[in-house]
Amino acid sequence: MPGIAFPQQNHILDALPPDERGRVFPHLKLVTLPLGAVLYEAGDALRHIYFPTDSIVSLLYVLEDGSSTEICVVGNDGAIGVALFMGGETTTSRAIVQSAGSAYRLTGRRLKQEFERQGETMHILLRYTQALITQMAQTAVCNRHHTVDQQLARWLLLSLDRLSVNTLSMTQELIADMLGVRREGVTDAAGKLQRLGVITYSRGTITVLDRKRLESLSCECYSVVKRETDRLLPARSVH
Amino acid sequence: MWAGPLRVRAIFMTPRIAAARLPPGNLLLAGLPDVDRRRLIARCEPVELELEEVLCEEGARIRHVYFPTASFISLISSVDKSSFLEVGLVGSEGMLGTSLLLGVEVASLRALVQGAGPALRIDAAQFLRELKRSPPLRKRLDSYLHVLMTQLAQMAACARYHLVEARLARWLLMTRDRAHSNEFLLTQEFLAYMLGVRRAGITRAASTLKKRRLIRYSRGKMQILDERALEAVSCECYLDAAQMYNRVMA
Repeated sequence: MPGIAFPQQNHILDALPPDERGRVFPHLKLVTLPLGAVLYEAGDALRHIYFPTDSIVSLLYVLEDGSSTEICVVGNDGAIGVALFMGGETTTSRAIVQSAGSAYRLTGRRLKQEFERQGETMHILLRYTQALITQMAQTAVCNRHHTVDQQLARWLLLSLDRLSVNTLSMTQELIADMLGVRREGVTDAAGKLQRLGVITYSRGTITVLDRKRLESLSCECYSVVKRETDRLLPARSVH
Repeated sequence: MWAGPLRVRAIFMTPRIAAARLPPGNLLLAGLPDVDRRRLIARCEPVELELEEVLCEEGARIRHVYFPTASFISLISSVDKSSFLEVGLVGSEGMLGTSLLLGVEVASLRALVQGAGPALRIDAAQFLRELKRSPPLRKRLDSYLHVLMTQLAQMAACARYHLVEARLARWLLMTRDRAHSNEFLLTQEFLAYMLGVRRAGITRAASTLKKRRLIRYSRGKMQILDERALEAVSCECYLDAAQMYNRVMA
């Protein structure tokens, strides 16, 4: 979906005051993120922070045997690479593109320079990190206690919120990887949602038809994460 | 709200032995330059944390930051007000109140004292002033936050994939490290609550470990008999987390 990308599509970049935009924006580089691309693996040195505009990136924790589970999903609401400003020189998760699109990226060096000024860039990224922590803790307990049906609904809602559209291009294998469940589990859950008329699914495209219903089928984890994200991050300016 | 049975009692050794095994204070503070450490400690007050005390509820304002010296605290995530999962464990290697580092004064997790004992406590506003004043403090606590976030991510994956027996072994080892003792009291209800599993699953896993003589468990008293073997039963998460802490906080 080619279109004109601009930094303000990302909520964090959008929230920066003019002087910080003036310093940061000239150094942003627009990059295309194809579906399934790995931005980094666990243990990689972190060189950039990414601010998605219309892409979604999942952070996965990978266990020794290779099995992985999604710990958070990042889209136009956030940034990938928060470990950069916590002194973590290497990553501890895998960042994989879950929905193709674009992102702006900034070098770690530039980010650190801006951070040292202790302005809004720092404050908003720190608050965003707290929203990520909430999402991670909620995902952990959700993984443990909720059904695949509920988790799929939660996952679809969190993903769609970060896209500003009702359609998601996604294979069931990828969803299964994200949720850390078997593919049959996802097929069953998606089939139920389809029979209820909540989504349509064909050839790797999921379209949400009845968002209200999807919200009611999700566990509380979706609204907990959404409420916390809304509380911690500034309301969007109108474009 | 959690109101069910909940018992974990650190077994205190005789004072003489306890003194010999007492941890050297809080490791986050110990790693600071002398000037910064002394200034911060001067603003802290020593407190005794009581077992099962809730230091902070999810969503509540953070009033104090705690640096445990010989106590430990569980960070607990909940759903539906009835199901729980421990997503972090904070002892003398860490601190409670990391949200303040992120400019957020509200706690996102319930903090429950799981091992009674001493801690240093500082008022949130004072803490923020010190944080501004001391770049080494900021740097060290940021690194700790990175460790804690990794632990959180790891707990999510571990809770999803690893078997109860391996998770139980991991939990016992993590608790042992923070209790600075191979013995502590706990109930199976409590373990089930922490690990987010049914009690029957815990009973089965505990009796397997008992049969293999890795632990002794009776009347709520847990004793680790063979830590090497327990490490072998544990999932990789125990050693990974310990090594990560050492690498990042060195």
